[in-house]
Amino acid sequence: MGNPHSSVGRVTIQQEFLATGDSVRALAQQTAEVDHVVTEAASGSLFPAAPAGVALLAVGGYGRRQLFPYSDVDVLLLFESENLALANKDAIAAFLQRLWDSRLRVSHSVRTPSECTEVHDRNIELNISLLDQRYLCGDRGLYAKLVEKLPRFITGNRNALIRNLSQLTRERHSKYANTFYHLEPNVKETPGGLRDYQLLCWLEQMRNSEPSRLAAAEPAPELQQAFRFLARLRCYLHCESGRDNNVLTFDAQDAAAEQWKLSDAAHWMREYYRHARNIYRAAMRQLESNEAQSSSLFSQFRDWRSRLANADFSVHRERAHFRSPQALDADPEVLLRLFEFVGRHGIQVSPEAEQQIEARHAKLREWFAEPRPIWPALISIFGLPHAPLAIRAMHETGMLTILFPELEQIECLVIRDFFHRYTVDEHTLVALQNLWSLRNAQEMPLKPYGDLLREMQQPGVLALAVLMHDSGKGTSGEGHVDASVRLAKTAMARIQTSPQHREMVVYLIQKHLELSSVMQSRDLFDPKTVRDVAHQVETVERLKALTLLTYADISAVNPHVMTPWRAEQLWQLYLMVYNELTRELESERIEIEASGPPQRLEFLEGFPTRYLRTHTEVEIDEHMTLEERSRRRGVAVDVRKLESAYQLTMVTTADRPGLFAAVAGTLSSFGMNILKAEAFANRRGLILDTFTFTDPSRTLELNPSETDRLRTTTERVIGGKTDVRALLRNRPKPSLPSRNARIQTRVVFDGVASSTATLVEIVAEDRPGLLYDLASAFATNGCNIEVVLIDTQAHKAIDVFYVTAAGGKIEPAQQQVLEQGLRRACEPLTEPRP
Amino acid sequence: MKKIEAVIQPFKLDEVKEALKGIGIDGMTIGEVRGHGRQKGHKEVYRGQEYNVDLLPKVKLEMVVSDSRADEVIKTLAAAARTGKIGDGKIFVYDVKEAIRIRNDDRGESAL
Repeated sequence: MGNPHSSVGRVTIQQEFLATGDSVRALAQQTAEVDHVVTEAASGSLFPAAPAGVALLAVGGYGRRQLFPYSDVDVLLLFESENLALANKDAIAAFLQRLWDSRLRVSHSVRTPSECTEVHDRNIELNISLLDQRYLCGDRGLYAKLVEKLPRFITGNRNALIRNLSQLTRERHSKYANTFYHLEPNVKETPGGLRDYQLLCWLEQMRNSEPSRLAAAEPAPELQQAFRFLARLRCYLHCESGRDNNVLTFDAQDAAAEQWKLSDAAHWMREYYRHARNIYRAAMRQLESNEAQSSSLFSQFRDWRSRLANADFSVHRERAHFRSPQALDADPEVLLRLFEFVGRHGIQVSPEAEQQIEARHAKLREWFAEPRPIWPALISIFGLPHAPLAIRAMHETGMLTILFPELEQIECLVIRDFFHRYTVDEHTLVALQNLWSLRNAQEMPLKPYGDLLREMQQPGVLALAVLMHDSGKGTSGEGHVDASVRLAKTAMARIQTSPQHREMVVYLIQKHLELSSVMQSRDLFDPKTVRDVAHQVETVERLKALTLLTYADISAVNPHVMTPWRAEQLWQLYLMVYNELTRELESERIEIEASGPPQRLEFLEGFPTRYLRTHTEVEIDEHMTLEERSRRRGVAVDVRKLESAYQLTMVTTADRPGLFAAVAGTLSSFGMNILKAEAFANRRGLILDTFTFTDPSRTLELNPSETDRLRTTTERVIGGKTDVRALLRNRPKPSLPSRNARIQTRVVFDGVASSTATLVEIVAEDRPGLLYDLASAFATNGCNIEVVLIDTQAHKAIDVFYVTAAGGKIEPAQQQVLEQGLRRACEPLTEPRP
Repeated sequence: MKKIEAVIQPFKLDEVKEALKGIGIDGMTIGEVRGHGRQKGHKEVYRGQEYNVDLLPKVKLEMVVSDSRADEVIKTLAAAARTGKIGDGKIFVYDVKEAIRIRNDDRGESAL
């Protein structure tokens, strides 16, 4: 018994909609059509039995006149009293049956005005649906009573209603993993969907209502635009599937694109994400501000956090605000300080500040488009404990693409396959989050990755590589790796990244697929695989960064890809390549090649190949200049400032036992802390040692003449004119390490790794003067340090020495004595050892 | 029907899958496993600390095929997974009593 009006009307409305795409009109038409059916059914079946004391109300989406073709039709039957409703049970049944026969999916409720004005904790929908109520037909006097009570009810119970609504929303969001970046989203329920738009309207209505009148909701224009976009999609899905289907599958995306001759589906889906993002962010702001108001414990914490405020920012309700938004106009770099604040304290940007930033987008874009030296500020943000939050804040305020327009192409970009769960920009942000969460990894198999990350001297460089590694995915016509490298170079030139960092970032992006491809297609236990990878990465620093980038990249494809099995495999690969890199230090020597200036060849001949790998052309030139200088007096020393440390390079031909120790001791006598050291020697007996050190008491910075004195003193020590022991005698006693003294000394001898020398690996608690003591222990035991690689991570020193004694490997008997000496050297000291 | 279970080197997975696809075998179950046979693990020293690598990463494939195809599948699988070195893995073959497609209760080989 179908109602011909309804089905015919529905078909016409749908045909018109499919032709025009005008969903607003379709929804209104659908509503009018249903209004007609409902009122007719009521006059036919309900009102004859109950002429007074009954009114019909449209509620929910139907009340809002936003009825989608196959949505539920929510009808409220308002009865003056419960008894009257009971007395008319049959009439109600007949009325509803008529509606069902008209093929309407009716969802009805029978209530009295007082029931409508009670808080229903278990039926929040009833309370909320009344915000959208609309009179259809019946007793106007009765309806007027409800309308009079409703505003007072809403304003009186605002907090409870908002709390219930928030809870409902949180539950729904968590069903969708709290993200709107679903490749096949549900346009109604997914975060950022139509339901969230409605949430915004309701919250606004409740907040602005007064006891005498209900407010109307007027969302911001961009939200209304988002609503129209989503409404069109939902309407389309209903028409196409002939039921209340709201899932935008890949097929539906393609079909919709074809229907309205849109560009390819992946492209317009980006539009979807932009709209969903607008709705989601607005909804989250509202939810959070409402929730924050209602928690007292939270507000205590909040007050405590507000003490973090500084000259630029204040902190209210756990959000950072600009003290003076006008500062943004005068000094756009205040923004970088804002993100630094976020990254340091883990405090998010306030909605007000977001809006203040958004209002200045055009100006800011212009300002940051100019090449500016903002890399020092960025690298410090990128290295902070909450860097992923800071970068997400940049993303959410639109600043990420203003700072890096190169990332515009991957905003909301969909990669359609079975593995990727997120859009490309979200993948990048998740990769950063996953990487940073390794800092707290305490269990296998992730713990060693955590150690690696903590050991990174410049995590900010790694973060930049992660940020840019897929930037080329949005360009067509060239491989995404090449495109990403190109884009990263442009960005780095603009923000004036130091050449050293630029080189590292380019390298990481270029090779970011290398380790996963090796894991997938090469035999990890074949020595050749390991050698090949070692040749590609060349240095331990690169290997570490590349391993971490690979971890981050794989783990951000979807939450299930980085299984413990895979994490172990990647770690295995790291381990073997690491050992390959540190053990071949001495074995391979540079052989003369036919080309190149003769001086250069003479200089390079016989250096370990590692020397070429670890030094740039410019550095080699500088070393050659230094070597020339050394010819007059047999020694030349250079001291220079690096970005976060200093470097001393010494060249001499006057090798003697204990030379390395003497230089290490000289640096200690100046109060310097040695982080890294490398010793090289070429065939002609030229010694080239580099020491990277920090200056904890800022001696060199505050006393410019000290740099010169350090250089001349080192030269005198090398030349044997000054005794390093005399210098050290004047040093203050280093304090004993206390709670940090957790690192157990390990001394491992390896007689196999090298053909000519014994490898000694030492792990110990770092302290000032350690390297001097270790080097002295070798010297006093008659050992010669051939090659050395010193690394310090936090307070752990990891030193690899290649040593010889009497021109050969160290004999087992001598090893024992030496080991004792080395262990003694590693002990915490109370006074410098002579 | 036969159930064929193969433990192979992870880096051979793509090759093996391709080869099986070439003879029309699409359906299989793949698991990330660890283990060792006679190819024992080895030790790695990292920063003075010994890492025992006694369980090696392997991939396990499982598939059920009709009796008439079993030999061909085993041959193809073995050829694709072979490097000739220790650690290439093993193939095990079992008799299967019954196969049931849950969706429509198909039985026997038609359920494969």
